[in-house]
Amino acid sequence: MKNAREIICFSHVTREYDTGLHVLKALDDVSFSIGGGEFVVILGPSGAGKSTLLNLLGGMDHVTSGEIYVDGQNIAGLSDDRLTEYRANHVGFVFQFYNLIPTLTALENIALTKKIVRTPVDAREVLESVGLKDHAGQFPAQLSGGEQQRVSIARAVAKNPTMLLCDEPTGALDSETGAAVLEMLQNMSRERGKTVIVVTHNEALAEAADRVIRIKNGRIREVTENPEPKAVSGVNW
Amino acid sequence: MLKRKMLRDMGRHKTQFISIFLMAFLAVFIYAGVGAEWRGLQKSADKFYAQANLADAFLYASGFTDEQAEAVGNIPGVTAVERRLELSAAADFENAPALTLYFVEKNEISKLYLLEGAGFDREDGDGIWLDKRFADAHNVTPGDKIGLTPGGAKLTKTVRGLIYSAEQVFEYGGETLTPNFENFGYAYLSAKAFPAPGMLTYGTLLVTADSAEGLEDQISAALDGKYGVYLEQKDHPSVSMFTNETAQHKMMGDIFPVVFLLIALLTMTTTMTRIVTNQRIQIGTLKALGFKQNVILRHYISYGFFLALLGAAAGLITGPVSLPYLFYPSMSSFYTLPEWKPVYAPAFCWVSLALVLLCAAVSWLACHKLLRDTPADTLRPKAPKTFRHGLLERTRLWRRLGFNAQWNIRDASRNRVRSLMAVVGVFGCTALVVCALGMNDCMADLKVWQFETVNRYESKLTLSETATREQTGAIIAAVHGEAVMEGQAEIRAKGEKKSCALLVTDHTTLINPTDVHLRPVTLPEEGVSVTLKMADSLGVRRGDEVEWRIYGAEGWTASKITAVYRDPVDQGLTMTRAYFEELGMTFRPTAILSAERVTEHMDGVDAVTSTAGSAAGWDDLTEAMYTMVYLLILAAAVLSVVVLYNLGLLSFTEMEREMATLKVMGLKSGKLRGLLLTQNLWFSAAGFALGVPGGLWLTGVIISFSGDEFDFPITPHFITLLISFAFTFGLSVLVNLLFSRKIRGLNMVESLKATE
Repeated sequence: MKNAREIICFSHVTREYDTGLHVLKALDDVSFSIGGGEFVVILGPSGAGKSTLLNLLGGMDHVTSGEIYVDGQNIAGLSDDRLTEYRANHVGFVFQFYNLIPTLTALENIALTKKIVRTPVDAREVLESVGLKDHAGQFPAQLSGGEQQRVSIARAVAKNPTMLLCDEPTGALDSETGAAVLEMLQNMSRERGKTVIVVTHNEALAEAADRVIRIKNGRIREVTENPEPKAVSGVNW
Repeated sequence: MLKRKMLRDMGRHKTQFISIFLMAFLAVFIYAGVGAEWRGLQKSADKFYAQANLADAFLYASGFTDEQAEAVGNIPGVTAVERRLELSAAADFENAPALTLYFVEKNEISKLYLLEGAGFDREDGDGIWLDKRFADAHNVTPGDKIGLTPGGAKLTKTVRGLIYSAEQVFEYGGETLTPNFENFGYAYLSAKAFPAPGMLTYGTLLVTADSAEGLEDQISAALDGKYGVYLEQKDHPSVSMFTNETAQHKMMGDIFPVVFLLIALLTMTTTMTRIVTNQRIQIGTLKALGFKQNVILRHYISYGFFLALLGAAAGLITGPVSLPYLFYPSMSSFYTLPEWKPVYAPAFCWVSLALVLLCAAVSWLACHKLLRDTPADTLRPKAPKTFRHGLLERTRLWRRLGFNAQWNIRDASRNRVRSLMAVVGVFGCTALVVCALGMNDCMADLKVWQFETVNRYESKLTLSETATREQTGAIIAAVHGEAVMEGQAEIRAKGEKKSCALLVTDHTTLINPTDVHLRPVTLPEEGVSVTLKMADSLGVRRGDEVEWRIYGAEGWTASKITAVYRDPVDQGLTMTRAYFEELGMTFRPTAILSAERVTEHMDGVDAVTSTAGSAAGWDDLTEAMYTMVYLLILAAAVLSVVVLYNLGLLSFTEMEREMATLKVMGLKSGKLRGLLLTQNLWFSAAGFALGVPGGLWLTGVIISFSGDEFDFPITPHFITLLISFAFTFGLSVLVNLLFSRKIRGLNMVESLKATE
């Protein structure tokens, strides 16, 4: 299902944070590109700049310099309003701590997307596809971590975005549940044709990725393509 | 979906949201309720005045001739004139009540308001139209005959109708402060009913005009200055008393809602700030999902908006239909109006709307800052508040303070809004309680001052106008009495003219004047003594000169002020008989004071009032005040419980982690409660210290609307301060107790783990 067309391109992206005492370079002249429908893993130790990269791509933060092209459009130059639109229509986020709205039920959390995009996927259908049909009426606090993360993925998918950006999606889960979640994400790429980008520090996942981007101290160390990626279920954790 | 989120969020923070609702409700409830009440009074009175064609000006003289009336009638702008004779009479009942008789020329100005029986007929020489409230007190109905003795003559008239008069919305009951309709009343008769038509002299001239401005000068010119007193409608005792009363209600209706509004806004600010801060990650998530800024903003603003809207709407609906009816019964024992009906005003809606918008604006202020950050920033946990060491922490004293005090000082300075809210809340509570009890004190003090210090007599016999010298002498001998001359006078100085009370004493020992510190004092023999309130309003002091004249007299007399004294119920001037006669005037006693209890009826006496009876009348009057006092105390209690409980809840939730940490470290629940209690007590102390002067100020403001005649001593009783103190601090401790269970039940593991 891979689409050879390159849809994401980082070009000399730098992001600096002014802490008041000194300037911290979270990303330093980063360039790479990703093809449509790929399952991409971004690897690196803590503080390497993985989340910053994901935030920039997700339109949640501004670059200090450089360009980020998504589908041929440079999102680095967009206004806040346009960025909001971009996030609504192109990006689905999956967070480490799920970030579900605690006062909304599983189904309501997903149905929330109806308020944002014009053509969302049916909330019940998505919930069913992540195997939580019977938990529709439960509040996040009543669900296990794995279940909450599956709701979170369902919410991201329900918007029918171009890409899913996942920041340490298994960071708060045990390895077995984590594997199930990752398998689900891989399927989103394989079966639904979404570009899925997963930030993790778990080296083992590299075997399952179409493309692996290694990052350290805010710089790209290596980008490798994997011609024969394994299924997540086949990876040795 | 966001609406559901909102409703569920409200459910989670129900105490705060209920209090926001409650405060918004109370603010509008009181504003609209009291607003409808006083507007109702005003409208009803205005309608009454208009229907009656109430005179725009009242002139008094020894008699107005046809030519004089015509001269006034010819003044451009004067629409009508009418004369009448006012006579006081004793009515033929067991208690010989005083009736003021009005023999009227036409009844076109200050017309009667007929309630029962036949309308006024100027050709009817046998009929009388009687004060309805007097008639009710004596079971008189139309058709009954009534015997009268105006100035010695005997009359018998047939009651044709029962009436109200627009000039008698407030009836002055001679000696008693509260109207007791068994003791006095008024009646209208045709001039034809006057027993000796040839002797009829009209002492009162009623005038209606397009405008009251400059009217006196024109009338004065037309009459060549030959009249005694000119009274504008607004200065008529009944009109001005009622206007003052309405103004007092209006002021209360304006001040108290502000207190509740402030609390609503403060609660709103703290609650919304807290919700928004706690939902930082949720807001970040919503942003990351692609929600537009203004959708999120609208979501958070709607919390305050809908609650304030609900509260305001509830207050708007219930206030005007309930509060007025709480006031009207006591008001109607005091005042007489044909109609007691609340009146709605567009202002209620505007004020409610403004309140709702203010609450929404406060929500906006609380969350707009957070929404400006990028989603990535918002999703990151908030950096802990930067905290600088205060000046106090650098001193040596700081180290000596102990953990409890240090912790609380830091917490209070880190949460300034919350601290401010607590102090303001307690301030409001204390001020309301002090004001409520302070008004009580004022009433009680005035009673003691008037009936125990100043009035040393037991009975006061009001002489009839026709009492002869012999009769007076006989009365004095019979009751071992002392004669005084009382009357109305006008006084002027520095361009100000006021009407005032006049008292001429004749070696009187049964009236005991008091100095400015309310201590008994003997007034000087020479010159005039002026009451403090009158002196203040004229801007004069001891040693200054004032001009004065008795109502009806034509020339002015200049006198030097030789003393300034204070009197609880009569503001004006006092002098001795010797000085009065020195000025060339005749001392004519109007009342005899006696230390004995006089019950029998004597010739030449119009009415007998006992000090005990007047004191009881005063108690009746204060009865109406109690409604207000109870309401205020109730409001104060609601206010402080809501504020303190909220504050406690807020600090408790905000400090839950710290509390849990302290508990994990081994601090006992009691100690933790002590931490919270210390803070509550500090804020209560600060609020109390500010609230006492605030409450006294409020009392002063309210009292200042009670009419020009009264001079209320505003000195709080120690017991009042003690009760306010106990009330405020008692509530503070009570609220703290409500939290003791929460602290005991604090789940350390959960509190430390959860981020939301």
